[in-house]
Amino acid sequence: MTDHSAAPEQLSDAIRSARFRKEREASWQRLDTLVALAEKRGVRNLSYEDTLALPSLYRQAINSLSVARAISLDRALLAYLEALCARAYLVVYAPQESLRDALARLFIFYIPQAVRRSSLALLIGFLAMILGAFTGFMLFFEDPAWFYSFVPGALADGRTPDASESYLRSTLFDSGGHRTEALGAFAAFLFSHNTQIAILVFALGIFVTLPSFALTYYNGLMLGAFYALFHDAGLGYELFGWLSIHGVTELSAICVACAGGAQLGLAVLMPGNMTRRAALRARGRDAVCLVILAGLMLVAAAFIEGFLRQTVQSTELRLLIGWGVGLGWLSWLMLSGRRQTPAQREASQ
Amino acid sequence: MSDASTSPVLPAPPVHGTTIDKSQGKRRLENYLPPEGVPIAFDISGGGQRFGAQMLDLLITFGGVTLFLVLLLWANVLTLATFFALATLLFFFVRVPYYILAELVWNGRTLGKRMVKIRVISADGTRLSAYQITARNLMKEIEVFTPISMIFGVSGLPGMATAALLLWVLGVLLVPYFNKRRQRLGDMIAGTLVVDSPQALLLPDLAQSKGETRAAPRYTFDPSHLGIYGRYELQTLEQILRNPPQSPEQRANVSKVAKTILTKIGYTETVNPNEQWQFLSDFYTAQREFLESRQLFGDARENKFHDVANSAKTGADARFVPPK
Repeated sequence: MTDHSAAPEQLSDAIRSARFRKEREASWQRLDTLVALAEKRGVRNLSYEDTLALPSLYRQAINSLSVARAISLDRALLAYLEALCARAYLVVYAPQESLRDALARLFIFYIPQAVRRSSLALLIGFLAMILGAFTGFMLFFEDPAWFYSFVPGALADGRTPDASESYLRSTLFDSGGHRTEALGAFAAFLFSHNTQIAILVFALGIFVTLPSFALTYYNGLMLGAFYALFHDAGLGYELFGWLSIHGVTELSAICVACAGGAQLGLAVLMPGNMTRRAALRARGRDAVCLVILAGLMLVAAAFIEGFLRQTVQSTELRLLIGWGVGLGWLSWLMLSGRRQTPAQREASQ
Repeated sequence: MSDASTSPVLPAPPVHGTTIDKSQGKRRLENYLPPEGVPIAFDISGGGQRFGAQMLDLLITFGGVTLFLVLLLWANVLTLATFFALATLLFFFVRVPYYILAELVWNGRTLGKRMVKIRVISADGTRLSAYQITARNLMKEIEVFTPISMIFGVSGLPGMATAALLLWVLGVLLVPYFNKRRQRLGDMIAGTLVVDSPQALLLPDLAQSKGETRAAPRYTFDPSHLGIYGRYELQTLEQILRNPPQSPEQRANVSKVAKTILTKIGYTETVNPNEQWQFLSDFYTAQREFLESRQLFGDARENKFHDVANSAKTGADARFVPPK
């Protein structure tokens, strides 16, 4: 103000909006640099002073935006403030979720809780597999030729109704010359292949569950026909061990993926009082948790299948490992996350 | 101080929801009302940008993995079996897991999205959760990647199936164009949006010189000169002034603008051709000051038809028939 009286003949920055901008520009630019820093490295990695300054600078900027909208016709200024406030808004109100917290919450709370909430969908998933297996088993005894229609040739790998008992036995207890690297490649392939199938099974569930059910049922048919084949050759118990070591985890994973698909399908089929879109969003949460679980189980299954199945040759040990791992999954899913997450507790209060 | 209410004539920005701003080249905006009570908006990204980002991502991931594998093969440090195991895993990783991890780590921005400056936000304006990121990227696999890899990867696929898959991919790619938030299926399920990262670039204020104080203007205007135009014309002039003319053609355009303004406002003083730029700058400053102060007094003038609009609203002019 003293400047004005000292030099009255000089025109000061007479335009109100220009003066307004000049007074606040420094704080906007400070916010700009802070926001850029936070976007680059995350709010978590800002220094103490910067973190402290961020919200108040944001409030100043958004205040300026409000005033500028009322008093300024400078388009560049308005565009700048709008963009700055939008960026700062995201940094302040939608900061990045910490990866470690997200993972911890997922494993301790979300997945087990989602599994416990999805009993109907899980029932559908496991039922599809069991029904398929039962049908495959019964049809094989009616006419072994069914085997050829269920199991593609590449997968059968010579294990057909025409194969000798000794050949079948050799596929179960083959210890010849497997090097660990080859096993690793096999495991990687299995994992990648099975995960694609699981994703497909899940995704197609959105069409009112039917494709998921059909695909899982088909997997069950193959399983049943296979089992019948070996049962016919008197190798039922041995095959049970051979399948158990990884199958408990792997087949369950497919069923869980099917359950995820069923969740989507059920949301479309029976949305209840919600709109279908809202129901999809609500059930989608659990569905996604189920798929993540399926993916996780497939990783574990691939490891067991790739390494342990070929190195562990005793049927009893195979049974023990397979069902032991299964029990491990079950106890995690049933026992973990019984108490609520902090966010849930807040919501229920 | 923070009174957000603008004058009644200006259209109040909507508090939330999606709007299309026709006045600014059909900008598609998603509006939010933060707790501070000042509405803010994000530009919803167009199909071209999103497609570009996706292509860049594919190029980076598949190109990177291929390059890495070729280098490994060339260095010959791994046995063939280990190499294939690694290759299988890497090619698996660059499908769903890469997108999920990238969007988790960079808060809704994959490498491709960072390059074209777009990002994913949660549709409700809050923190983007891990669930949302996983859901939208799992759906991407189903929407596009699996069908396409089936078309190319599965040998002996019947023609009908190929046609059905192509139709599905096409349909899925068109979904964003049939909803106003430009969401694909995965976005709808996850409740997310893809928006342009706001680019904050502060241009210099045209009404203010570099020095502490403004030099006395060469040209002065009185209210009769300034009462003609409104906000729209002022901001158009602002855009002209931000790009000083380079070629003779542009200079001719500027001179045309200056002449039009001179006639329109009935300015009596003659302006030399080499001083036309100075005239426009002075006119801009004076006009802005005038309009801003009118706006403060509740008389916001949208464009040069403001007096017509005002009289139409009151109906004073239209119905008044002078007595004979």
